Amino acid sequence: MFDRKFAISSFPQILAVAPTTIYLALVATLIGFIAAVLAVIVRERKIKILDPIVATLVSFIRGTPIIVQMYVVYYGLPQLLYALKELGFNTNPNGLPAIVIAIAAYSLNAAANISESIRSAYHSVDPRQYEAAISVGMRPSRALTRIVVPQLVANFIPNFSNLFLDLIKDTALVYNIGIVEIMAKANIISSIGFKYIETYLDALVIYIIICWIFAKLFQIGEIIVRHRVFHTQEII
Amino acid sequence: MLLELKQLKKQFKENHVLKGIDLSVNKGEVIVIIGPSGSGKTTLLRNINFLETADSGTMAFRDQQIDLSRPTKEQILWVRRHTAMVFQNYNLFKNKTALENISEGLVFGQGKSKLEADELAEKALDQVGLLDKKGFYPSQLSGGQQQRIGIARATVLNPDIVLFDEPTSALDPELVGTVLHDMKQLADQGQTMIVVTHQMSFARNVASRVAFFADGEILETGRPDEIFDHPQHERTQQFLSAIAEDY
Repeated sequence: MFDRKFAISSFPQILAVAPTTIYLALVATLIGFIAAVLAVIVRERKIKILDPIVATLVSFIRGTPIIVQMYVVYYGLPQLLYALKELGFNTNPNGLPAIVIAIAAYSLNAAANISESIRSAYHSVDPRQYEAAISVGMRPSRALTRIVVPQLVANFIPNFSNLFLDLIKDTALVYNIGIVEIMAKANIISSIGFKYIETYLDALVIYIIICWIFAKLFQIGEIIVRHRVFHTQEII
Repeated sequence: MLLELKQLKKQFKENHVLKGIDLSVNKGEVIVIIGPSGSGKTTLLRNINFLETADSGTMAFRDQQIDLSRPTKEQILWVRRHTAMVFQNYNLFKNKTALENISEGLVFGQGKSKLEADELAEKALDQVGLLDKKGFYPSQLSGGQQQRIGIARATVLNPDIVLFDEPTSALDPELVGTVLHDMKQLADQGQTMIVVTHQMSFARNVASRVAFFADGEILETGRPDEIFDHPQHERTQQFLSAIAEDY
């Protein structure tokens, strides 16, 4: 039978680790975003050597499950640091916190997805907008920042919102490497009393609330940006 | 001579779009380029302000000699800052108001102060009768209004030459007249222009010279009456006889 009391008493305990989930998603997105911008510059400017490498990496990351990527980083990063230590670098492969490994793996994943999303938003801006800007004598960099990027950002937000929400949900996998976030806490509590449905329902509700809040924030952000850029929607 | 193109060649893969164009333009002249669609007229304009880069050819513009196939970044910027283009699809900046569309080039192309640019832009908007639309975005304006702002955006820069790329082709027929009126006014003020158009009456009434363009070549150049009343080349004759418009 569904133990309502257990579900209610477990809820605050699971909620208490929600900041870990949010922290992981935010930090990975921030680092991923910076890496994505660099990847977009490399790809769009077709920088020699780097372009095919970045293209392959992005394709590899987008074509593999995030949990596999996480394990590769989990087992691979310490070995890489060890190899660097052997070469004389001051790196310490022991005691690497699991959260650092998770952030590294999720940042890589976010970078690949966000870079493709930025490229898609960039290509959705009519190239004639850029041509018109350089034809009035703007330098190419100025044409990008004044005309192309604002339109790109307006096109990018909906996609970015989806990617961020996906990332929040994907963080449910990091309990596999020992990080206690929402899913891990639900697992731990449920195993105590063998009351699974109660704790997983708690986790479900917490994920829904977190995702709903962020979805709403992005929606408001999108309306404000589109209003400022295209003047097409009134601010509610 | 303000502008002289010599042996401008451009090909896209195997397609020879421009097969060695020679064209000279004097200050104050209105050169109207006519000819069938797909003959390379637009590509010619786009090579003049380096929206495309030619495969070979030279351009003498004011006191500068430019190798069209190997222009430096500074040469490209210099040419763009002394020319202006009016596009077939207006290409107004979607994220800018009518006023900002006009002032943007003054501030970020010519380095004028925002205040001075806004004053000039307002004057330019007033000249095309759209000052009351200064806060409107392109999506809130009709095609005709957008194109008149496109013309104001180009001429406010006080360019040596304005390049018009089929400026009325995308407009509803009843809006064509106002745009042609603005262009004629510009021509009367002595603005040097190269106009690609299918408006034969404009070519006949406003052009200093008409160039007939077909298959990537200028086949014939002359005064409007020479081209329209006594075309020499067979292709010109065919083209003009096929046009229903009474020019």
